[in-house]
Amino acid sequence: MNSPEQDKELLQLLRNDINKGFRLVVEQYSSRLYWHIRRMVILHEDADDALQNTLINAWKNIYEFRNKSSLYTWLYTIATNESLSILKKRKRNESVSVDEIGGYLASSVEGAAWFDGDEAQVKLQNAILRLPEKQRLVFNLKYFDEMTYEDMSRVLKTSEGALKASYHLAVKKIEKFLGEN
Amino acid sequence: MGRIDDIAGKRPFRVPANYFDDVTRRILSATADKEAVPPLRKKSFRINHFLAAAAAIALLAVLSYVTVKMFSREETRSFVTGITIEEFSETYLNEIDILSLEESAEPLLFTGELPDVSKADIIDYLTLDNIDVSEIYELL
Repeated sequence: MNSPEQDKELLQLLRNDINKGFRLVVEQYSSRLYWHIRRMVILHEDADDALQNTLINAWKNIYEFRNKSSLYTWLYTIATNESLSILKKRKRNESVSVDEIGGYLASSVEGAAWFDGDEAQVKLQNAILRLPEKQRLVFNLKYFDEMTYEDMSRVLKTSEGALKASYHLAVKKIEKFLGEN
Repeated sequence: MGRIDDIAGKRPFRVPANYFDDVTRRILSATADKEAVPPLRKKSFRINHFLAAAAAIALLAVLSYVTVKMFSREETRSFVTGITIEEFSETYLNEIDILSLEESAEPLLFTGELPDVSKADIIDYLTLDNIDVSEIYELL
């Protein structure tokens, strides 16, 4: 995660030289945005599409952003919306069941090519994928991205209290799943 | 196994080799020929100016039309028929027998008592309706 000072410098650069500033945004944020998206959509091709859409949308609306204070939460909001949009499309035209994606990654040749985890990781992914979408987002942002509840509340437009409760419930559900399997 | 903290590693997925360099190149080349959209607020402000100007012109046109129409009513030439009131009186009113009209209309119009309307009220009404009372007196 960029520190607030790094984002401030980036913001200043965007104001002074929009092309140079945006190049730095892409270089500094593409990796972490990709992982955030990938944890939601699981498949690399989908994550790649969503990442490109996220950053192209960010570019199109960069003037709007320049008046905002937090680059980090703004980009995560766009990436989250893109991820949810991919999941919605997939529900309409589903080729791989999201619930079984862990098994798909572990057992198929194509899946295994993109999966680097062991059996425990497969179980964890299966447990996470059983959470409702919003709870999965909360869990991912807290557990993997270590995002503060304050920032998460800006990204997901939800109160901090509700996010804390949601994360707590998600952890309980995942641990129960892991204990039973 | 029951605790998520026991599971090591937070990125169990693989990506193609040099993926992040490649995606950075692709995104920068995709945005190179696309203009960033200027702030919507400024744009809508400009549109509002145009809208205001268009609305002002339309309002002026409507007001001009209404004013011309109002003053035209004072003229002797009628919009509808294209003839003057004098011409109308000569060609129409002079040809009919007002008295016979009154006689024939009386049973229909005043079957009972006359309503309690003063002459002054009638003259006010006729004046309001832009009818020249003196002309009517002359005709009668």
